[in-house]
Amino acid sequence: WLAPSSLFPLSCLHTSTALQKLGKWEKKNRIVYPPQLPGEPRRPAEIYHCRREIKYSKDKMWYLAKLIKGMSIDQALAQLEFSDKKGAKVIKEVLLEAQELAVRNHNVEFKSNLHIAESTTGRGRYVKRIRYHGKGMFGIMNIVRCHYFVKLVEGPPPPPEPPRTGFDQAKEYVQQLRSRTLVNTL
Amino acid sequence: ESVLRPAGAPSACLVPVRTKKRHSVPEWARELSPEEKEKRLRSLGTIFPEDRVERTFYLACTADIIDPYIPPEGDARLTSLSKDGLKQKMEKAKQTAVSQLALRKIKDHDLDFSTKTFPEKAQEIFIEAHNSLANFNKQKLHSLVTERCYPEMVRGNRYKTIRWSFVESLEPPRVVHMRCDSFVNRGNLYGQVTVRMHTRQTLAIYDRFGRLMYGGEQVPKDVLEYVVFEKYLVNPYGTWRMHGKIVPEWAPPKDPIVK
Repeated sequence: WLAPSSLFPLSCLHTSTALQKLGKWEKKNRIVYPPQLPGEPRRPAEIYHCRREIKYSKDKMWYLAKLIKGMSIDQALAQLEFSDKKGAKVIKEVLLEAQELAVRNHNVEFKSNLHIAESTTGRGRYVKRIRYHGKGMFGIMNIVRCHYFVKLVEGPPPPPEPPRTGFDQAKEYVQQLRSRTLVNTL
Repeated sequence: ESVLRPAGAPSACLVPVRTKKRHSVPEWARELSPEEKEKRLRSLGTIFPEDRVERTFYLACTADIIDPYIPPEGDARLTSLSKDGLKQKMEKAKQTAVSQLALRKIKDHDLDFSTKTFPEKAQEIFIEAHNSLANFNKQKLHSLVTERCYPEMVRGNRYKTIRWSFVESLEPPRVVHMRCDSFVNRGNLYGQVTVRMHTRQTLAIYDRFGRLMYGGEQVPKDVLEYVVFEKYLVNPYGTWRMHGKIVPEWAPPKDPIVK
């Protein structure tokens, strides 16, 4: 066939963000379940989202993550908006992004019908620097970064577990006593 | 007025600075033919910059449908009422001059082409393409569908399960429209043929979690489609591949996506 004339200039730049290695949490969004039979209960949608290398301490971020765990997404956003911590702003952005992804890509109908099933923090890459003290002394300080992971599940938030009362503990003790058997006998 | 600055001299004067003359062509050599210029440059020992590496590209398909066929209104609905009148209209539409010219050009390059056998082959290609889309058989799909149609078919389907099946064909498929055009260079011919298909199909799309998103597996639907097939005529190994569909404006609206 005929050779093409050189109409277009050299444009073979390969630009893609897929060259960086994907973490495990991002890959969880790729699993595809087999189609459900008509009799089965509807499987709730799960959306995994994360943000990497946030300039904040993982221990300080953990307090916010523990605060949000188990709340509905609207309540979580409200709590984060009025929290004074620096990490609250970041987590709020992550939650909004995850909500947007859920509605656009994962076939979720109502954006407020989501609740937070899991929210954890992880240690990012630390960088060591010198901290100068007086009298020529120095210390090695860590520039601390963290990751934040969140899993949104469709549906209303599950009811919180009732706290264990003394009556429950007593019931369990009695149950243990009743389930004792004789061992190594006829 | 001083000794260093006599009265007659100007207060400031421009002194041209002589730097090394680079890429200067002497006047006798300015109007030479390009070959002689090259000879001169080579004798002077200048290094030629590498020729710009031209990356060749190969157009296996066109970017769009040429002269999209405008289907007459009420196509599928009037067939039962006045068969003869419609048949005549169809034959007239087929015999437009441009279509006949295109048919002649296609027959020049592709000897086996005929408007009577082609629609069956076209329907087979159509069915196989949709089956390989449902099974995600990318290589087969690439060979049955042009590069322009492939992203349209595949976009957004990576994390979804598609189940498609062909129940039956309600009317025999028919060639309706033909066009043949050359792109970039003269003689670089691509032929496009529109085939009208009235079929019954079932389609069910499940999203990432296995929930039914569109259609139903046991719900057959009657579909009237105008599918465009394309072939790169000048290429001796070219094949007829699905290029796109023409959706008329009077087509019934699609069902909403179940969420």
